[in-house]
Amino acid sequence: MQAELALPRTQAGRGPGSVVARRTARRAVRSGALWGYIFGATVASSAYGFAAAYKTPAQRARVAALFGSNSGLAAINGPARQIQTVAGYTVWKSFMFLALAGAVWGLLTGTRLLRGEEDAGRWELLLAGQTTRRRAAGQALAGLGAGAATLWALTAVITIAAGRLPKIGITAGPALFFTVALVAPAVMFLAVGAFTSQLAATRRQAAGYAGAALGACYAVRLVADSGTGLQWLRWASPLGWAEELQPLTSPRPLALLPVAGLVVAAGGLSVYLAGRRDIAAGILPDRGSAAPRTRLLSGPAGLAARLARPAMAGWAAAIGTLGLLMGFIAKQGGTALTSSSTVERVVARLGAHGSSAAAYLGFAFLTVAWLVAFAAAGQVSAARAEEAEGRLDQLLVRPVPRWSWLGGRIAVTVVALVASGLFAGLCAWAGAASQQAGVSLASLLGAGLAVVPPALCVLGIGVLTMGIWPRATTPVTYGVLAWSLLIELAGGFFSSSHWLLDTSVFHHVTAAPAVPPDWASAAVLTAVGTVAAGLGGMAFARRDLAGE
Amino acid sequence: MGSTAIHAAGLSKDYGGVHALQDLDLTVAEGEVFGYLGPNGAGKTTTIRLLLGLARPSRGRAEIFGLDCQRQTVQAHRRLAYVAGEASLWPSLTGTETLHLLGRVQGRVDAAYRDELVGRFDLDPGKKVRAYSKGNRQKLILIAALMARPALLLLDEPTAGLDPLMEQTFRACVQEARDRGQTVFLSSHILSEVEALCDRMGILRAGVLVETGTLAQLRHLSARTVEATFDGSVPDLSRVPGVSSVEVTGRVLRCQVRGSVEPLLKVLAAAGVHELLSREPSLEELFLAHYGAEPGAESERARAG
Repeated sequence: MQAELALPRTQAGRGPGSVVARRTARRAVRSGALWGYIFGATVASSAYGFAAAYKTPAQRARVAALFGSNSGLAAINGPARQIQTVAGYTVWKSFMFLALAGAVWGLLTGTRLLRGEEDAGRWELLLAGQTTRRRAAGQALAGLGAGAATLWALTAVITIAAGRLPKIGITAGPALFFTVALVAPAVMFLAVGAFTSQLAATRRQAAGYAGAALGACYAVRLVADSGTGLQWLRWASPLGWAEELQPLTSPRPLALLPVAGLVVAAGGLSVYLAGRRDIAAGILPDRGSAAPRTRLLSGPAGLAARLARPAMAGWAAAIGTLGLLMGFIAKQGGTALTSSSTVERVVARLGAHGSSAAAYLGFAFLTVAWLVAFAAAGQVSAARAEEAEGRLDQLLVRPVPRWSWLGGRIAVTVVALVASGLFAGLCAWAGAASQQAGVSLASLLGAGLAVVPPALCVLGIGVLTMGIWPRATTPVTYGVLAWSLLIELAGGFFSSSHWLLDTSVFHHVTAAPAVPPDWASAAVLTAVGTVAAGLGGMAFARRDLAGE
Repeated sequence: MGSTAIHAAGLSKDYGGVHALQDLDLTVAEGEVFGYLGPNGAGKTTTIRLLLGLARPSRGRAEIFGLDCQRQTVQAHRRLAYVAGEASLWPSLTGTETLHLLGRVQGRVDAAYRDELVGRFDLDPGKKVRAYSKGNRQKLILIAALMARPALLLLDEPTAGLDPLMEQTFRACVQEARDRGQTVFLSSHILSEVEALCDRMGILRAGVLVETGTLAQLRHLSARTVEATFDGSVPDLSRVPGVSSVEVTGRVLRCQVRGSVEPLLKVLAAAGVHELLSREPSLEELFLAHYGAEPGAESERARAG
């Protein structure tokens, strides 16, 4: 009798028990599909770009000679193996970037769909029914697995299709293993995200822990790849394991063992810990109370500074560490940098200026430009969340003009971005000076400042979107970034089309400190950002506040 | 004083093709406690967001103390405080930090009254907002609004999540505010709350203000309930003018009468009535009388909040 009184089954064979799995899968598959296209497009354009730019064996041998033994570039792109071939070059060009992007996607998706959903109270309804916490966590992991499978499947389909082009000529088997290696970091960090979601009580904190773990993995790998004789350190970093798979060059499937081990261990621990804690709480103690700190809390701008502080501190730590490491390896990394589609552009402007270390740092600072722009997008997204989740109401129903709130937030973000750029310059100088690389502090501070304008442009576009189409703020802002990155990575492919290259906010960042920063382009980018932000602010002041 | 706290003229808001609020004409005098009644989605929150300048009207205008709600928003906000039904606050700030921030932004706070309110509402302000229950977060925004002693309190279902004890404290605070001459605009669907606190009230239905007046005035317009017990058989009332909703349970008859009771009394007397009870409608009955019909209005209200 009791069994018949159980909740009505919504669809045959699908009881309420699998609700969590389906909910999680739906969202993970959607974002996995988007990133699958980006992964596939990046791989295909890297391969095609190389095949089109370097047609003869002699040209390709020259590329290999230039980059094959450059430890500084290896620190960024991973070790160069057989880069005289399309396959080897494609791995070298796209692998580490996509591995990192995949890991970031994994940790954000894992924490959002586990801790984020629970934090928002959506699990309580489900867990009040028939599902236990452990079963729900297991189902959520299965949902994440579906997302990872989608990411892999789309990447694989596009890669195999591109490989069939005669110019590229990569056969299906090796291509398939390559895509497994490409998504391995994403899968590992999905599991890590699920694990840290059990530890912390808020999504932000869970993402923070997972992000710190990724930062440490990246730093260890960077040191291992920078030609310091510490290659064995690669085995200490999950990103290093992915490299040790050596897809397309000399595949080593055995390196999948630690990858699988990490996924199983982190996934299993997540399920186990989910049963040992209260709903909406983490395993680590969460300080529910604190002594009041009211110094900043005197107005909207102060509040913005207070709210942005943890995220900006995280970004500053990442940017500073990267700057320090880059500075540290600059001297040995800066040998002959003269070709390849991305480097080509950079080096074309180098001329006879600067030391080799400066040339290397010029290349490395492009990565800093990406990080600073991501931090800017994160702040736009956070400002929109204040509005969407109704917290902004609490300020605007008091005597606070809308422009004052938005202006305060923008001002705080601009200060933080400029500080991050200068901090990157300072850290790079500290690293370089410790090796007597002979790059001046002034030129590195200039380089640090020069990476800020693209971020200001992204910030302005984000504010404009928030003004005229609030619900699209986050996707449009990150979309501009993703588009710009894709253009940069596939630069060789589009080199004939200048207007297309110009749509990338990073296209006009020069290789400072090797060459003087292009202050004219910087002024244009800043002006575009300022005008966009101004228009966005005007639209924001005139529209209805919009919820989610 | 006799001056006006809230004045709306033809105030309307459309969302796409949905009329969330239509041609609202409303005046609330200074010092009045006005109840704004309506079920979920009738347009109560839409009205308040228009008064606060958080949303732009499609047509019409509104003023608070003679200040235009759209163009003189900041000046108007200096004289009011608002409490939402759902408290969205910054999870990482503590109660003390939140009250400090909102007080500084408001500009003017009675610190002694704030501390008194924290005690009366039995709130532990040292906790982070994240650690508060829904009820405690609600207390926090109530205290933040009351501590400014504003000339106008705009309350949008302010007691959601409060326990009965705290609900009593809230009522006491509103009565004190009235005694001090503050104006209160209380949007609610809790009828006992409105009945206990409000001088005058308006009933909103599917974006249209259908009635305004004191409880006595509203009652006058509505049907009264009559209950009669008979010795013999219960008479047929279907032809009696003004009578509706007839229910018969054994020898007891219950019905509603609108207008004069004379025709009904004649029939009842002729049938040998043994006991007769007549009472005025409660606010709940008034309310249900307005919403009983027209189920089709549901979908119209879907977007209004």
